[in-house]
Amino acid sequence: MKKHSFMAIVSAFAVMLMLAPVSHAKVYLTITGETFKKITIGVPYFKGEKTAGSSLEMSDLLNKDLDFSGFFITAPASLIDRELLDEGVEKGEVKFASWRSIGIDIVCKGRVSVTNGELTLEAFVYDTLDGSMVLAKRYKARQSEWRRVTHRLADDIIFAVTGEKGIMSSRVLFTAGRRNLKEIYLSDFDGQNVTRLTNYRSITLSPSLSPNGKYLAYTSYREGRPNLYVTDFDKKNEIFVDRSEGMKIGTSWLGNSTLVYSHTSGKTSTIYAFDVGSRSKKVLVRRDGILTSPTVSPDGSRLIFVSDMFGTPQVFSKTLPSGEPKRLTYHGRYNSAPAFSPKGDLVAFVANISGGFEICTMNADGSNQRVLTNDGTVNDSPQFSSCGRYIIYTSLKGGVNRLNIMLFNGDNKRTLRFTDFAEEQPRFAP
Amino acid sequence: MKKILILLVALIFVAVGCAPKAVQTTPPATSVTDRSLSDKDKDRTGISEEELAKAERDRLLREQERLAGILKDVHFDFDSYAVNSSELSKIEGVGSFMKGDRSVRIVIEGHCDERGTVDYNLALGQKRAEAVKAYLLKLGIESSRIRTISYGKELPADTGKTEEAWARNRRAHFKLDQKG
Repeated sequence: MKKHSFMAIVSAFAVMLMLAPVSHAKVYLTITGETFKKITIGVPYFKGEKTAGSSLEMSDLLNKDLDFSGFFITAPASLIDRELLDEGVEKGEVKFASWRSIGIDIVCKGRVSVTNGELTLEAFVYDTLDGSMVLAKRYKARQSEWRRVTHRLADDIIFAVTGEKGIMSSRVLFTAGRRNLKEIYLSDFDGQNVTRLTNYRSITLSPSLSPNGKYLAYTSYREGRPNLYVTDFDKKNEIFVDRSEGMKIGTSWLGNSTLVYSHTSGKTSTIYAFDVGSRSKKVLVRRDGILTSPTVSPDGSRLIFVSDMFGTPQVFSKTLPSGEPKRLTYHGRYNSAPAFSPKGDLVAFVANISGGFEICTMNADGSNQRVLTNDGTVNDSPQFSSCGRYIIYTSLKGGVNRLNIMLFNGDNKRTLRFTDFAEEQPRFAP
Repeated sequence: MKKILILLVALIFVAVGCAPKAVQTTPPATSVTDRSLSDKDKDRTGISEEELAKAERDRLLREQERLAGILKDVHFDFDSYAVNSSELSKIEGVGSFMKGDRSVRIVIEGHCDERGTVDYNLALGQKRAEAVKAYLLKLGIESSRIRTISYGKELPADTGKTEEAWARNRRAHFKLDQKG
């Protein structure tokens, strides 16, 4: 396996360019040599209300979001002189030549006002090259929701400039807790609105939400052994999926109401498709030994899973409903935890490489394997964002599991922290 | 009467000891209150002779397992659920213990070290427990007396980050099945 190839990044961006509905994209994603140029964006302090949770904090947060996205270099405030800071937000008031002279490609101006607790943000995003307007939008919300508004603006800027959907407004599902006490949580991506979804005071594992967000599947030890449940948020009830002997783990949804899960008991393991509506299940794969981590491709045509049929855990692919399993991983003695990208073209997985468990990606046919982490610890549970640009995963650091996120090419790694506990098994909520 | 009081205290300790660690709802004050019961109050506790007898039996069993060290952890190699020949004698020990007392039912817990992925370790722990169970069946123990549960890497015996700690954590752990 080689380190991520830049050609792949280049071609990925080439695809983005073609898909980008905004024609401006061609200006910013200049490809130079073997790497791509990030866009330099300037966000001077927003005008208007200087009270808490308003203009200054909003422009700071916007800078953080844009930096995090991996598309932008955010110009530090020190680079922007007084004159530029003080100029107005309307097109006629912006001195584009001055912005260009300090190397800024895009400038985002904002004007904030608050009346009776209602916040209005007017954002103007310009291309400094020709002064054209990339985005002009007015946001209204309660003042307390200023973060949400800022994340939406960040996502809008990312979409307007690159044609890619941002993740700043998304939510993350994960488990958190300590020994023998692990619950499922849901949080806004920026750490706001952390909500505990379960309270069983037991071990709760492997949460996954159906694509429409109606069902939550998880494994809980609250009945004394690991049983598989689905919570129906609409009907506010709980469905027993599998309470038989053995280990049951649900990991993937086929459409909105079919849970795909693995069951290990006795000599064999089985991958089932369980229909939540009819409560009926059918066998997708059954084998001696271990079968686990079943994941269905977004179009429902293929199943990937982990099996030890050749002695060590390896990733396999199978055409649904009745194809023969095809082995995808041959390198190394431990390849596990596969997850499809939303387009179904890439698979993220975990490989044991010289003692460390590292996050890798490969094409869905097993070709072009790349290693994205290289820290020798236990990295686990990779999952793509709904835009496919990010991979969220767990990393064991200082003996504690922490959530991390990076671009799909391994760049821009960040640690995320939502609770005071160790956090595991993250997924972007639909 | 004194003996009953001792049994009572023993029963309380057994009960407290049995409660899963996650739900430590039993206030420690209980045992203090119960212990201060006068002789006259004992009859009102509503504890039947059978329950006392069961408490005594449990206590003896616990004593037995502690003294004889019968229920010893079976250890495994990394990413393996094959029982090493060096570990067979531990399972044989459990087998003869179960043959000797037909009322004994056990739970075999399968555990893994912290390396590897969550999902795979949950399945691996199950296979470890199953492998030990399979050998007990081979020794003639009835399947109905054995339950298996995998905890993956959720409950390490040793939280260290060394090879030794990992080796201790890759285990099948025996417990008396209190349900039965």
